[in-house]
Amino acid sequence: MEYQRPLNALIIRSASFQQLDQNLPELLAAFPDHRFDMLTHEHGMKLALKYQDLNRIISYSHSGSFSIRRREPGLREIRYDVVIIPVANLTGAGFLNVLFFSLSIKTNRRFLCNMVSDIKRVTVPAILLKVLWSIINKFVSGLLTLATYPILRLALPRLLSRLDDRSRKGNI
Amino acid sequence: MPLVSIVMLCWNRLEDVRESLTRIRLIEYPELEVIVVDNGSTDGTTEMIEREFPEVRLLRMTENIGIAAYNRGFERARGEYLVIIDDDSFPAPKAIDRMVRKFERDPDLGAVAFDVRNFYHYDEVAQVEEHESSAKNSSATAAHYYMSFNGAGVGIRTDLFRRVGFYPEEFFLYNNEMDSAFRIWDAGYRIEFHSDVVAYHKYSPVNRVSWRAPYYYVRNAFWLVWKNYPAPMALRLTRSLLFKCVHASLEQRTWIYLKAMRDAFRQAHLIQGKRKPVREEIALNLRVPYDVFFTFYR
Repeated sequence: MEYQRPLNALIIRSASFQQLDQNLPELLAAFPDHRFDMLTHEHGMKLALKYQDLNRIISYSHSGSFSIRRREPGLREIRYDVVIIPVANLTGAGFLNVLFFSLSIKTNRRFLCNMVSDIKRVTVPAILLKVLWSIINKFVSGLLTLATYPILRLALPRLLSRLDDRSRKGNI
Repeated sequence: MPLVSIVMLCWNRLEDVRESLTRIRLIEYPELEVIVVDNGSTDGTTEMIEREFPEVRLLRMTENIGIAAYNRGFERARGEYLVIIDDDSFPAPKAIDRMVRKFERDPDLGAVAFDVRNFYHYDEVAQVEEHESSAKNSSATAAHYYMSFNGAGVGIRTDLFRRVGFYPEEFFLYNNEMDSAFRIWDAGYRIEFHSDVVAYHKYSPVNRVSWRAPYYYVRNAFWLVWKNYPAPMALRLTRSLLFKCVHASLEQRTWIYLKAMRDAFRQAHLIQGKRKPVREEIALNLRVPYDVFFTFYR
């Protein structure tokens, strides 16, 4: 009898445990016969261990947000059948960094799972299109930020000085 | 056994408050006082509390003053430890006993951040550790960065919280926990999550009003930076926030982030005299999820 590798899925923990408590039953139902792993930041490890349906918890070895520039070495050699990106709103707005990061993980299929547990497939071309749009937006944003930076450079130290705790200054 | 004061803030959530106060009666810790601060409810919440929960100390505000109302509760708390909850959250039965033991064992522990979980789903997905030994290491921390806490479930030493000024009233809503976290860490205490100290929260995504969270999170993010960071870092982070506001506004096609940024500058007088930069070690290591503040719009 031919051995069939069990199907595996990875959840990138990009939403709160409160939301995942709600999402997880829906994900288990949507992907039956899958073994679920979870990638979470270090502080979430012990809390993720509580889920009785998870196979493995992987610690993200960086403290910052999930980023394609901060890939997880432990995932390089693993291929997942499904990668799931929970998003803490309805549309996924603001989570492009996690979507882009998911491209560093070998998989055939990626899904968004939003705050009300709607699960939608998202393709590589769709992600790349969003990234391209974001790059254009970042360029424009960068120009605007650069234009205002000289004013900020001058004004902010004065503002901070006005905001200082006077009682602390008097004690120095 | 030390007295613990549970402080809840409520506003027009009669049924949730009733449920939370009912569940609080199941807490397995004898020395408790429960303070509910009502932020000007008009749905009969205060009348219900007086009628059905006479053991509760009820403080009534005449209007909604945001998180400043929490401070009115903290000021009147008699307990050695405070437990802060929302009007739709409550500690698990064994949570407070476990929390007190951790405080008593570790004098440098300033706050026990509860593992705040979804009331509707947590028990069905989790291995519930009701009989866990309190000696087992339940702390969920990171080796190289520091954490804040969730305002729907946290225990804090009352004296410490009084010294650091309780919650920043000028924030009105959101990011108040983060600001307090800076000051707790800077006072030389630690904040730790503990996996065996659980609070249940009625996580209800559909109830969130669209504009308040993104607006207040972002406005207050600027104030977090200006109040707490040394000047060079404050300049760098302000520039970064400025960029994120413009970028998120273009991506999400909304003015809300730009309005928040405008008001951060316009209303900066509200944090006048409150800037007190923390030690560099805290500024560098306290994890502040600035990107997350731009995810609440839709």
